Amino acid sequence: MANVFLNEFEELALTMVAVLKEDAYGAAITMEMEKLLERKVTLSAVHVALYKLEDKGYLKSKVGGATNERGGRSKRIYTITNSGTVLLKAMREKRVELWGMVPQFKTI
Amino acid sequence: MKALPTFIAKLIRTICPDHLVDQIEGDLIELYNYDVKTIGHARARRKLFWTALRFFRPGILMRNRVSLNPPSASMLSNYSKIAVRVMSRSKTITAINISGLAFGLSAALLLFVWIYHEFSFEKFHRNRERLYVAWNRAHENGEIHCWSTTPRVLAPTLQKEYASIEHAVSFAQWGSTQRFRVGEKNVLKTTGAYTEPSFLSMFSFPLLKGDAATALNDPKSIVLTEDFARDLFGNRDPLGETVTVSEDEHNFEFTVTGVLKDLPSNTAFNFEYIIPYSFIDTNWGLDDFWGNNSVLTLVMTKPDVNDQFVNEQVRDVEKKHYKDGQHIEIFLYPFLKNRLYSRFENGVPAGGRIDEMIVVSILAICLVLIGCINFINLSTARAQKRAKEISVRKVTGAVQRSLVVQFLVESMITCGVAALLSLGLAYVLLPYFNIVMQEQLSFFELPVSFWAYFAGAIGLVSLLAGGYPAFYLSSLPSLRVLKIGGTASKTNKVMRSTLVVAQFGIAIVLIVGSIVVYRQSAFLQNMERGYAVNNLVYVPLTGELQKNYSAFREELLSQGVASAVSRTSTPFTEQWSSTGSMTWAGKNPEDRTDIERIVTDEGMVKTAALTLIAGRDINLKEYPSDSTAVVINESALRLMNFKDPIGETIRDNGIDWKIVGVVKDFVFVSPFIQKSPVVLFGNKYSSSLSFVYIRLDEKMPITKVVGAVEAAHRKYNPDYPFELHFADAEYQRSFHFLESTQTVAGAATVLAIFIACIGLLGLSIYMIEVKRKEIGIRKVLGGSVFGITRLLSASSLRPIVLAVIIFSPMSWFAMESWLGLFPYRTSLDLGMFLLATILILLVAVLTVSTQTIKVALNNPVDSLRSD
Repeated sequence: MANVFLNEFEELALTMVAVLKEDAYGAAITMEMEKLLERKVTLSAVHVALYKLEDKGYLKSKVGGATNERGGRSKRIYTITNSGTVLLKAMREKRVELWGMVPQFKTI
Repeated sequence: MKALPTFIAKLIRTICPDHLVDQIEGDLIELYNYDVKTIGHARARRKLFWTALRFFRPGILMRNRVSLNPPSASMLSNYSKIAVRVMSRSKTITAINISGLAFGLSAALLLFVWIYHEFSFEKFHRNRERLYVAWNRAHENGEIHCWSTTPRVLAPTLQKEYASIEHAVSFAQWGSTQRFRVGEKNVLKTTGAYTEPSFLSMFSFPLLKGDAATALNDPKSIVLTEDFARDLFGNRDPLGETVTVSEDEHNFEFTVTGVLKDLPSNTAFNFEYIIPYSFIDTNWGLDDFWGNNSVLTLVMTKPDVNDQFVNEQVRDVEKKHYKDGQHIEIFLYPFLKNRLYSRFENGVPAGGRIDEMIVVSILAICLVLIGCINFINLSTARAQKRAKEISVRKVTGAVQRSLVVQFLVESMITCGVAALLSLGLAYVLLPYFNIVMQEQLSFFELPVSFWAYFAGAIGLVSLLAGGYPAFYLSSLPSLRVLKIGGTASKTNKVMRSTLVVAQFGIAIVLIVGSIVVYRQSAFLQNMERGYAVNNLVYVPLTGELQKNYSAFREELLSQGVASAVSRTSTPFTEQWSSTGSMTWAGKNPEDRTDIERIVTDEGMVKTAALTLIAGRDINLKEYPSDSTAVVINESALRLMNFKDPIGETIRDNGIDWKIVGVVKDFVFVSPFIQKSPVVLFGNKYSSSLSFVYIRLDEKMPITKVVGAVEAAHRKYNPDYPFELHFADAEYQRSFHFLESTQTVAGAATVLAIFIACIGLLGLSIYMIEVKRKEIGIRKVLGGSVFGITRLLSASSLRPIVLAVIIFSPMSWFAMESWLGLFPYRTSLDLGMFLLATILILLVAVLTVSTQTIKVALNNPVDSLRSD
């Protein structure tokens, strides 16, 4: 995992795809991120992050069903790949490990 | 369910890659509909707009397959071949396009080289971010004044009392004449600076020889620039050599402890030697009077000290130490801003030289724009000529995008050629530009980044010039073009006229600008000076001339060379000393208006030909007590408000002075500043007399008179080189800025008119081509040459008349605000605008009629025969 760099936003997007399972596409991820993380999220930023993650092989996508509320346009539904899952786990472990090294952490 | 507004759909379809656009649109629609339900229609729509706009980002744009697939090399070579053919087919139009752009670009290049140089000022100091200049901010008579000369004692006080200040030094450059003597060599210099040892470690003026840390420690040390050292010592090593510096009757020996690399051209410092300030302190005592603002105080803060923090600290330093300075605050102004942003209005920064830079950049961009407009107009006007080619390309399968690329290649070739020509032209013109601007700009000193910007700008210009024509030409409907041969579109014609209006609008503003600058310059030149500058000269009162002055004066007068001779402390064109603390009977103690001081011995009214309006001149022979007499000017009288000024006393520097005369206001320093109250003092302070003003005889030839003065000078002051200043030349010097403005504005105007007119010429050539048959038929049916010329010219001239109407008020406002910078200014009148209008119409009519008359005179048979 030494030479893997994901920025914070990409990491979040990757996690969101894992969270949303079968229903992970641009608009849904944006709305869920806004709701769960309470921050402003731009649709185009989510798209860019998803494309990059797909390029890097952590996600794969297929064009999915069109619904009426989308004006008949299709969805691009993302699913996390094995290497994506491995990466997420590894990142989490590194976090926990680092967290353990913080001495007597208190909230001020 | 709401669909996307059309323009947003169009935007998304344009910027997003084809294979992704469907899902992006779907997401947008979904979010939009969700928003409509939750936050209402209007807000949802606004949010949608911004969300859609955000797709304009590299992460999306770079995914467009097309932009990653440039047209193949063979297509590119085909495009260039076609472009060259098209360009060589209509040589006049190509020449107009290229020359318009080339002239505009070369002017812009020169101006930007200058602007770049201005912005590079002082950027070379390693500590630039930590350097400051101390300024005063004072509440005086209800206004806030700011100035940057400070008391000598400020620097040591700041250094001692404030921990966040690393170095603070006094810096002074009084411009007094000093004589340097090394062996037999005598050199006069006025470019000396006095400062303290840390100056050399604050500012990055590297020493070639000597140690910067210690070079100025000894009061008897001196640091010279390389050039000056070579001048004095030739090829000898100057380090450790002694040099005798003389000022007035004092001689001092200094040891050279350092040689500075010559100062770069992008610094406001202009000294050739530095003498430690401790030299003045040890010889005349440390000047610890807070009321004497005589030096600049330069400050370097410790690293990571916030500007606001240090400013809060030092604000009250003068109040703490000086009981009479309770109205004065000290603030540290970033040294990097001191050149471009040094105008303060009522205590807050209000621009300065930067305004000039902005105007010049706009001017440069406008000149390029006029050239671009020519290209746009001539390309779209001649669309019909290209219509067949475009249609055939389309029919055989070219998509719009490839046609766009083709036309962009054409504009890039045009711009590329123009850029190369402009480089050559600018290179040739640079020496003349340097003379006008009094600069030493060079292309070879510019960094690579400047040329990268230049290349980028050329790319931008070719997009700007070629973009619209490319999209317009490539979108011509092919079938209709093939069937009926294409028609000129109405919107396109409106667009063209609008651009012509813009071109000539710029030209109008420039013409009016040039006229106003010229008028203002003439106005100031002819302004009542209040003293006669012709036949008035002055020489510095140096060396033995101090002692021999009476004999020198007698000799000049008895030979008839001069009609009057007087000594003064300062030339009328320079400011030497002013005070706000002079007092007189009935003075309002709150009033701190500055009064200028000039010290003179006697007879100055006669020598300078000032106009007496009351009383008499200072005259020591008849009135021996006149060494404490003063002559005041009208402004001073108005300020002091005496009913009968003669015989009244004023108090200054602890001495009572008697007013013996009042003179009319005269231009002090330059006509660019407000006439201020001036008091001419008797020679109680005789030590400060440092110039001899001589009114030359008018009847003798000037060379003879000057020769006689020089001979007398050699006789009475043999050690000093002869140095003569003409009062009129010194007066004229302050006009340099206005003169260079005048030249630049004039040249830009001529250029703008020229480029706009060749564009107009191109359009008329095209129009006549189109109307050849119409003209033929009109002639056959009895149309007169005059009638046809008028008909053809009228439509070309309409946009120009419109430009006059729209842009005249704009130029009025622009020039009003420019004139607002001058205390004495000419007024604007309709005549100027009329003149500008007549000029532009005349030039335009001449341009258009060269074509129209020719075609109107043609035999109609020639144009009609072919059908």
